Amino acid sequence: MKKRIAGLGLAVILALSSALVGCSSQSSSTPSQPSAPAGSTNPSAENNGEKVLTIASGNDIVSFDIHDHNNTSTEAVHVNMFDYLVRKDAQQKVQPLLATEWETVDDTTWRFKLREGVTFHNGDEFTAEDVKFTLERVATDNKLLEYGNYKQIKEVKIIDPHTIEIITFEPEPVLLNRLSRLGSGILPSKYIKEQGWEEFLKNPVGTGPYKLKEWKRDDRLVLEKNDAYFGEKPKWDKVVFRSIPEDATRVAELLTGGVDIAVNIPPSDLKRVKDNNGTDTKQGPTQRVMQLTLRLTPGTVTENPKVREAIDLAIDKKAIVDNILSGGGVPTRTRVTPGNFGTNLDLYGNTLYDPEKAKQLLAEAGYPNGLELNMSATSGRYLKDKETAELMQAMLAEVGINAKLEFLEWSKFNDRYKAKTFNEIFMIAYGNSMFDGSLAFDRLTTERAKGESDYSNPELDKLLSDAGQNMNAEEREKQYKRAQEIIAEERPHIYLFQMNANYGVSDRISFEPRLDEMLFADEITLK
Amino acid sequence: MRQYLFKAILQMIPVLFLISLIVFVLVYMTGDPVSLMLSDTATDEDRAILIAALGLDQPLHVQYFRYLSNLVQGDFGTSFRYNMPALPIVLERLPATFELAIAAMLFATVISIPLGILSATKRNSFLDIFVSGTSVLGKAMPPFWLGIMLILLFSVALKALPVSGRESWVHLILPAFTLGTGIAAEMTRLIRSSMLEILGQDYIRTARSKGLIESLIVYKHAFRNSLIPVVTIMALQTSTLIGGTLITETIFSWPGMGQLIIQAVNNRDMAIVQAAVFVVAFLVIFSNMLADILYRVLDPRIKYN
Repeated sequence: MKKRIAGLGLAVILALSSALVGCSSQSSSTPSQPSAPAGSTNPSAENNGEKVLTIASGNDIVSFDIHDHNNTSTEAVHVNMFDYLVRKDAQQKVQPLLATEWETVDDTTWRFKLREGVTFHNGDEFTAEDVKFTLERVATDNKLLEYGNYKQIKEVKIIDPHTIEIITFEPEPVLLNRLSRLGSGILPSKYIKEQGWEEFLKNPVGTGPYKLKEWKRDDRLVLEKNDAYFGEKPKWDKVVFRSIPEDATRVAELLTGGVDIAVNIPPSDLKRVKDNNGTDTKQGPTQRVMQLTLRLTPGTVTENPKVREAIDLAIDKKAIVDNILSGGGVPTRTRVTPGNFGTNLDLYGNTLYDPEKAKQLLAEAGYPNGLELNMSATSGRYLKDKETAELMQAMLAEVGINAKLEFLEWSKFNDRYKAKTFNEIFMIAYGNSMFDGSLAFDRLTTERAKGESDYSNPELDKLLSDAGQNMNAEEREKQYKRAQEIIAEERPHIYLFQMNANYGVSDRISFEPRLDEMLFADEITLK
Repeated sequence: MRQYLFKAILQMIPVLFLISLIVFVLVYMTGDPVSLMLSDTATDEDRAILIAALGLDQPLHVQYFRYLSNLVQGDFGTSFRYNMPALPIVLERLPATFELAIAAMLFATVISIPLGILSATKRNSFLDIFVSGTSVLGKAMPPFWLGIMLILLFSVALKALPVSGRESWVHLILPAFTLGTGIAAEMTRLIRSSMLEILGQDYIRTARSKGLIESLIVYKHAFRNSLIPVVTIMALQTSTLIGGTLITETIFSWPGMGQLIIQAVNNRDMAIVQAAVFVVAFLVIFSNMLADILYRVLDPRIKYN
């Protein structure tokens, strides 16, 4: 009897499991997507004559709430579904999109003429109401992650259904930059007011060239072309964004033709992707600059400008870029890199490396036998951050600076960063989503630097506060150029290199990386 | 039986409560979610506003009790990252994880039963040594390494199987193999030792002395009895399986709960982590209970109290 029950039990378990497997695998294949034939590894081939573009990134989009994320890779997907009022082209020049023309009425008022005859994916007409709804939401709701970048907007006034005025609290020279980035996609006010946010987040609609077909979280997001798009007809029938967190898997998908573009290829795999038949690599600069922040607090060794200069001269930034990043970066002495308003090209693409002079400076500073200091860095936060810091440590040792290196996991690093308890030096990378010089100096004013670098220069403070509200572009540019010279000379920050983004690309398409790392599907074409 | 079930379910409550406390404290100790949510260039003012808006400025015990009272009402909180209730997000991922786990379990069963029986009946033969050696290897290979090797071999070099994703049943083969290997190794060894023990029992000797043919002895007399511990061990593998899905799902970008947990931990998405750990804890406790019941059903000598 008991044997029979045992046998029966096992049989039931087996039967149940196979039934379950059957059920779940059936439910997993959606009717809209014909499953690939067994063994096929090439979903991006033009099945049934359809033009499909498949892009693999390291993570899925956060959500469709365009105001409540802070994530470049999410925005890179959103730009295909939602349109900005103005858009940056591949050269980062502002171009009309939903706004056709604009002017400044006075220092705090901008008037925009809106495009007529534009419809959202659900058929609603695009009007001034939508702009007011979108921008005032992010400018007033302080729970939203993008609030800090839009709180400068006081009001959006509707002049007529296709004309608006944006009123800011203070003069806002960077308003167009704000409106052409993360958080500025125009939302359908009527749809959201009638159906609610929950429905919008499930079935988002925008005015963009592609509309949502399906989203399987952490797996794939499929867009299809919007035939009613007001601009040039969309080039692809379908655009698939796949989320593949594991680097080795993402590379393997590219090598086997499973995807057309893979982002964030590790430097160690670049050669393999390049040598593989059918794939190539593309590198492009990003807005991220790796830097050292130095402490000028009285009593620290780095208080002495000669010591700071010696540190700068001791580090061979080009060697770091060439050897650790496989050439994936550009040495720089400024954080305002090309493509940003106010860049000082004299300080870009070059580096000061002179170990002999560094030794001499140390001697002059009263440290002929070298000195000791502490340096903190992240491990695993940025590409090759640990290796970079270790190589720097060795370079500093060559001139007699004994840097005690401390590695911290990002959240621990962040705790110390916020508490401002780092010692002489910490290494960090900053981006600049505003594409404007102003953001590059935000931690260098006397007020913001207090406790962190303790740097203070009244001339710089004045320059920055003047430039922050200066509506005269030419003057403003000069002010930022000067500010960069001051920083390069006084070195509260020592900039190391601008980081590149590494892409793997199938030979069947042409793709040029953008400085803002956006992935506009229509800028990517079949060869 | 009914009384036993009632008791078992009641016992789950303090366990789940304790788990909620541990998870809550651990998640809070590992870092602050706000700094990960905002960009590097956010000001301290922006940070303070968001902390207050999320209620993270309140003392830890206040936050815990708020969390607990919501929990009792079935509310696991709102995911910071997805801005949606956490529990449905976790439950949405269960089918994918079940699919992978069951496939891995099936694979492990199909491999381990014949190998376990063979190596027990042919004890100390070349085959036995080979199977034992292979199962040690199978247990020792870390899934992240095995998974990547399988991709390189079957997908990149041979172009026979897809690399990643969850589309058709062929996409299931490599992840199920990766996840199932360790379990197959464990079960092979278990079936072997269970069989060896039973083959040494008196009633087997009696059966042999009666002149029964060997295959009848092995399959009808010995194997069925050796299954009792095996069936329960299978149910107890739930925690191993779920632990394995964390890695396997990430490698093969399989959109299940394991991948969700990894992402949630990386992003300090407390609500998701808490809800997921809760679901996992529930599954483990539930399957242990199931194993317990199965064991008692299979072997009536065990009493319920």
